[in-house]
Amino acid sequence: MNMKLPRLRIKGQRIWMLTALVILAIVFSFCHIKITKVTIPATAVVGDVVPIKLDLDLSCNSDGSDKLILGVLMPKGWKGTQNLTASYTGSKGNGNFVMTPLSTLAPHGDGKNWPDYMRATFGIAGNLIDDMEWVVMQSDVPFSYANGDKITGSLNLQLKVGADNNPTIVKLAYVVANTTNGFTSDGNVDAGYGATAEYYNEYIGDCFTVTGGTGDLVDFCNPQLTTVSPPKSLDNDLVTLTFNSNVIKTDLTGSDAVYLCATGITNDGRTIIICEQTDKTIMKPTSGGRYEITIWPRAFFGVNDSQTLTNMTYFITDKTGTKKIGYGNTSAPFTYKFKCG
Amino acid sequence: MNRYILHVAICIFIFLSSCKVEEIAPVAEAPKNIAGSWRVIKATRNGTDITNAFDFTQFRLQFDSAGNYTLQHKLPFLVNANGKVELDDPAYPFKITFRPEGGTAVSIPFNYPTVTGTRQLSLSFSPGCALNAYIYTLQRDN
Repeated sequence: MNMKLPRLRIKGQRIWMLTALVILAIVFSFCHIKITKVTIPATAVVGDVVPIKLDLDLSCNSDGSDKLILGVLMPKGWKGTQNLTASYTGSKGNGNFVMTPLSTLAPHGDGKNWPDYMRATFGIAGNLIDDMEWVVMQSDVPFSYANGDKITGSLNLQLKVGADNNPTIVKLAYVVANTTNGFTSDGNVDAGYGATAEYYNEYIGDCFTVTGGTGDLVDFCNPQLTTVSPPKSLDNDLVTLTFNSNVIKTDLTGSDAVYLCATGITNDGRTIIICEQTDKTIMKPTSGGRYEITIWPRAFFGVNDSQTLTNMTYFITDKTGTKKIGYGNTSAPFTYKFKCG
Repeated sequence: MNRYILHVAICIFIFLSSCKVEEIAPVAEAPKNIAGSWRVIKATRNGTDITNAFDFTQFRLQFDSAGNYTLQHKLPFLVNANGKVELDDPAYPFKITFRPEGGTAVSIPFNYPTVTGTRQLSLSFSPGCALNAYIYTLQRDN
């Protein structure tokens, strides 16, 4: 039985075809991208505006038009959305970057905005303290490109460092991408653009040192004997202190049990010492030579309702309390300020 | 003929008596009863499970039927003092409000899922720095 299907007649057929072509051009437009060089001073002082230059290469295998995305990983305390500006120069024109609104969802980002998508994809780029954020900007206008284009350009960043007034050692990281492809690749080979010809690129810098400031040194880069989580907390948080016995050999290396010996200082100037080797202060072994204890500082130090804890100092001891480890394996205590900023 | 009339009469009778409008009263949603003593079965801080890192076992949050709550063996929590509690709607609550004695009222979303047949109460709050988010999942004591 032969049935002849009716011939479809679509109103405005040419308009629909044109629209489809435009959509296809948008969906399948892409350029592979890589950061070829990052230029940054080795050190800076709190409050400096640091110039950072990223050199880029792009290789396009389609016609299209996209905005460029730039992400910079930095300490949250630097308040990057207020302290980072950037511009671009290149063979396709010059212009400025603007902050990408947090309400803008990233393509291929499973409903995440750009900072969350970067966080989920690149983490904190090997830094050791999870108090960092991706600050994401986009070019003010899209740039157009043609199939076969080889584009070169530079991004010039101006980053005011150390808004939290803390001397800092950190690995800054950079991601470039476009507003269409997110962090995807086409699975092919385009020499020099990653194993699968990626439409994005991440560059992790060396440890960058910021000196000066009145706060405590925050070292994101080097393993520490002790860490505090969350990095910023008040006395009414639950605070986890971790002792990493594998960082360097200390008197406590090989101990079965280690204990917290801490001194709390209150807003009315009282000093409260809790230095006992009991269940209250024992640090439980976790993995990789680490020991940890989670305390509610208000209860641990027993402050009353009218008092708050402003800071604490602490040592790690053995079961007898005679072997004491302090900051950098010295006799000086570790220090911690209860603050949110 | 009589037999025919009888059949027709029976059919009419069946037809008339077979259908009737049945009025189904909508089943009222039961008010959410949170009375009881609740304990923490899971705690997270900034998304990390800390249930076993700290002793949550002694803490109790008790609601009575008169709308009071009491805290036993306190922890960092939404409020620090005992007081009144209320839901914004008894049947379809979206918010739970704690009014501590001598303190400021605090409202948070009311999250009251049933997990494996048991009601749980999930409370989200930041007792210290605003960026540090805690979620306690509570379950009634047996």
